[in-house]
Amino acid sequence: MKSFRGWFRNLALARKLILINVVFIVLPLGLMGYFAFARFTETTERKVGDYQLQTLKQLTLNIDTYMNELNRLTVMPYQYPKVTDYLATRRTSGEPLTLDEISGLNSFVTQVFLNGRVDILGVSLYGTGGASYVVMPESQYVTTYKLDENVSWLNKFKGHYGQPVYVATHDLSSSGGNVYQAFSIVRELRSFDDGVTLGYIVIDVDPKFISEILSKVKLDAKELLYITDDSGKLVIGKDHGLPQAAPSLSPDNASEGVSHVKSEGEGLLMAHITSEVTGWTTVGIVPVSSLMKDTEVLRTYIILIGIICVGLALLLYVFIAYRITQPLRKLSRLMRSVERGDLSRAFPVSGTDEVGMLGHSFNGMLAKLSELAYLLYETEIREKDAQIAALQSKINPHFLYNTLGSISMYAELEGSPEIITMSNNLSKLLRYSLSGRKEHVTLQDELDHVSGYMTIQQMRYEERIRFTMTIEPSLLGSEVIPLMIQPLVENAINHALDKGVGRGRISLTADSSSQVLRITIEDDGIGMNAEALEALRLHLRNTKELGGRSGNGLLNVHRRIVLHYGDEYGLSLESMPYQGFKAVLKLPVITHQGRAREDDGVA
Amino acid sequence: MRDTGCYSGHKRNILITLSILLLAMLLVLVMGGCGTDGAEESPQAAAEPVTLEYWTPFSGGDNIFMTELVQQFNREHGDIRIDQINSRLDDYYSRLRTAILSGNAPDLAIIHATNLPQFVQNGYIEPLDGLAADTGLDWGQFNAKIAESTVYGGAHYAVPLDTHTLVLYYNKKYLKEAGLLDAGDKPLIGKGEQGFTEFLQQLKAELPPGVAPLALPSTRIDSVWLWWSLYNQMQGGGVFYNPDGTQAVFNNKGSLQALEFVNSLYQQELIPPDINDAFKLFYDGEAAMLITGVWGTGAFEQDENLELGVVPVPVIYDHPAVWGDSHTLAIPAKSEMSAEKRNAAMVFARWAVEHGVMWAEAGHVPSSREVVESGAYAALKFRSDYANTANSVAYWPRNVKQWTINEEIIRQFEKMIYKEQSPEQALQNAVDSINLQLKK
Repeated sequence: MKSFRGWFRNLALARKLILINVVFIVLPLGLMGYFAFARFTETTERKVGDYQLQTLKQLTLNIDTYMNELNRLTVMPYQYPKVTDYLATRRTSGEPLTLDEISGLNSFVTQVFLNGRVDILGVSLYGTGGASYVVMPESQYVTTYKLDENVSWLNKFKGHYGQPVYVATHDLSSSGGNVYQAFSIVRELRSFDDGVTLGYIVIDVDPKFISEILSKVKLDAKELLYITDDSGKLVIGKDHGLPQAAPSLSPDNASEGVSHVKSEGEGLLMAHITSEVTGWTTVGIVPVSSLMKDTEVLRTYIILIGIICVGLALLLYVFIAYRITQPLRKLSRLMRSVERGDLSRAFPVSGTDEVGMLGHSFNGMLAKLSELAYLLYETEIREKDAQIAALQSKINPHFLYNTLGSISMYAELEGSPEIITMSNNLSKLLRYSLSGRKEHVTLQDELDHVSGYMTIQQMRYEERIRFTMTIEPSLLGSEVIPLMIQPLVENAINHALDKGVGRGRISLTADSSSQVLRITIEDDGIGMNAEALEALRLHLRNTKELGGRSGNGLLNVHRRIVLHYGDEYGLSLESMPYQGFKAVLKLPVITHQGRAREDDGVA
Repeated sequence: MRDTGCYSGHKRNILITLSILLLAMLLVLVMGGCGTDGAEESPQAAAEPVTLEYWTPFSGGDNIFMTELVQQFNREHGDIRIDQINSRLDDYYSRLRTAILSGNAPDLAIIHATNLPQFVQNGYIEPLDGLAADTGLDWGQFNAKIAESTVYGGAHYAVPLDTHTLVLYYNKKYLKEAGLLDAGDKPLIGKGEQGFTEFLQQLKAELPPGVAPLALPSTRIDSVWLWWSLYNQMQGGGVFYNPDGTQAVFNNKGSLQALEFVNSLYQQELIPPDINDAFKLFYDGEAAMLITGVWGTGAFEQDENLELGVVPVPVIYDHPAVWGDSHTLAIPAKSEMSAEKRNAAMVFARWAVEHGVMWAEAGHVPSSREVVESGAYAALKFRSDYANTANSVAYWPRNVKQWTINEEIIRQFEKMIYKEQSPEQALQNAVDSINLQLKK
């Protein structure tokens, strides 16, 4: 169970969906089909059984009606006193009849024949006193017949007062040679006055009519339909054939019913009904398999349709499952390629469903990611650039230091303090610039560097430069980017002095407001006209790559700040022609804490 | 897996439509499949043969031959099925009349030539000339006397199957023992009433006790047949009605003579009294001679213990004459009878006539001259001995009430045989009663 759960959990989403579908569609559908079919089969069988029984009932009713009609003929002797008188006489076999008796008996028999149907074959009258008058087919009456004491129907009258006895089909041979099939109705005739038995009347009837009734019933092609009497003797079968496989009946149990029997491995549905009139049992037997022929066709259809429908549904479902999970799989593939570093492929979004939203988010994420990657990349480039630049100037710094040291020594020997100051400052500048790269330094460090630089420049330009520095002391510990202010000061000297004539004033101020550190470098030089300024600003805002003729110093400073702190910080410029130039650095106020002042020991 | 994003919404719609179409087709298929099941039970109907109900009144030994004839016909004709229903002659016509009047008539019925008038009247049976022409039945093939007996108003109303007459059967064993057979095994009967009576008396003297010299039933029509035969043998005899048919006139001298002769045979017990089944008596060897119809021949010759001989009824008076009748096939008129059934009935009639030899095996003289002259008929024993009687047949006169009139004669003769009245009284009572009927 646990392993199954684990297996299921790890199954691909599409397969999971299909599996669930199979379980929740095929299983109920199959079960439903099975139960429906089973129920249907059962109902059909019962219905057929009932139908069969009804048919037999109808059939038996028809036969009973006919039998009652025949039965009426057997009471006819009571309306013919000559007949009852004749039967009551005591006579020896073959004793001749009087003319009166002949005409009386003959007219009686003629009436029986005429009142009956065409199918009456013979009429026999037996008196208990030995009188007999027997008319068989194709012959004259016979008076020599004696009642056989052993005849099977004779003892059936006991307890059946006034009821006729129906005798199953037997052979009736005529003197002409023809053999007829006949069943018989026998009635005991009694005298009204003294109640004694006068004799019997036997009417032999061609079973053709019953046979016709039977042949009109069509239960099934393989049916067996027959009638037996109470001792199981065949009265008549539908096709005149005794059913070979006629299973032993159990008609004693009930006068009617439907039962299942097995014969020669075949299931048979047997309905039987016993007539109250004749006591005969009508039996109809139909093989279950032939009844169920239609059902089997139905079953085949159900299975076929079931398979096709389920197959179709599965196919559709497989398609839908793959269709639904396909964007997910694509997304996962894309993610893997992103993992490998390929950020160039976007997810094709089609629609605003969950998957679409996911794709959209993925695309956004991808864009962000590639932007960040670029930023990182640029930062690194800038660092590299700065380093390379430093490296270039680092060419043998010890040599420079040593040289500057020598110059300073010589100047001391010569007694030239200016040279000493300059060389010392220069040495410091170099040391600051070329020392190991530090990401952040304090504002104090940066200002020291600027001061050194300005000392040299002031010695160069003597009284022409007036440099003022106004710094909020609290900001001295703030973290800044190294070599950030010096290029601006250098720029200011160029603008303020080199292009103009006379004195120049450069002021450096650092203040802070709402956590923003503002470092302003201002000169009173020739400034810039509006277009040039605007071009320069655009250059700062949009250009990311270095290159070009000018403005690289400013751009470098600006980009480094932006890269370090974000877009809202950086360098802004203001200028008016002939009114000076103002560069403002905006930085967040971050107190440089704990970091020990890195020594300048590079060598 | 595959290239992505290629299934547009449009394509998906097509797929769904396709699936629905497929399902619909399936459904139609299933419905169609169920539908075809219903029409399975038709091929048998085409092979259903035309079934004809065929009524016959045979109660001698001849029914078994008719049954064989019918079976043979059914075997040879897959498209026609004849369903024979035989009943006692005693109630046959009563039954047939009722059936015709109640519209339940059979498709085909045997009618005795004597009885034709009562069925021709009111169109109870159909004239057959048209049908005969359709099926190729040639009226010319019949014995002229027989053919004539079926013509009424110029139209043929029935197809005659045979002529049957009275003949004299004799048991050669008894006659030989009595020395009454000639070299050709024919009985040596003397001339006239006296010759016949003496013959029987000699025979009676030689016979073991209990064996009848001559068997004739005490009741029923047999004695009437014999009287009619003898009456017709007389010069100027055989007159039944006055010329315009309004009165019976057979209470004359000749008639009385014939009847007195018949009565004398009974009274002298040359014909023993109280014989019911003379046929059976002769069959069982309890009678030396029997006068009955030719229909017994077939049955008697099958009895191995019976040394059978047959001759025509002896000529007692002036010239040969013998009662005879014909079995004819007629089609009772029914409104709903189909042309197929009529044709089939005619096909059977023609076939039965052409296969007259089969019917002749019962003992009857075939109606077709061709059959009578055929080798097959000649090969039959006994039949040629009496085939000529067909030419001296004395039919009953044509009268629509002849059958009931005969029954009246039977009643009077029975009383005579049972010694309740004299032959004179019998004739007079019969004539009186018949005249009463004729007046109705």
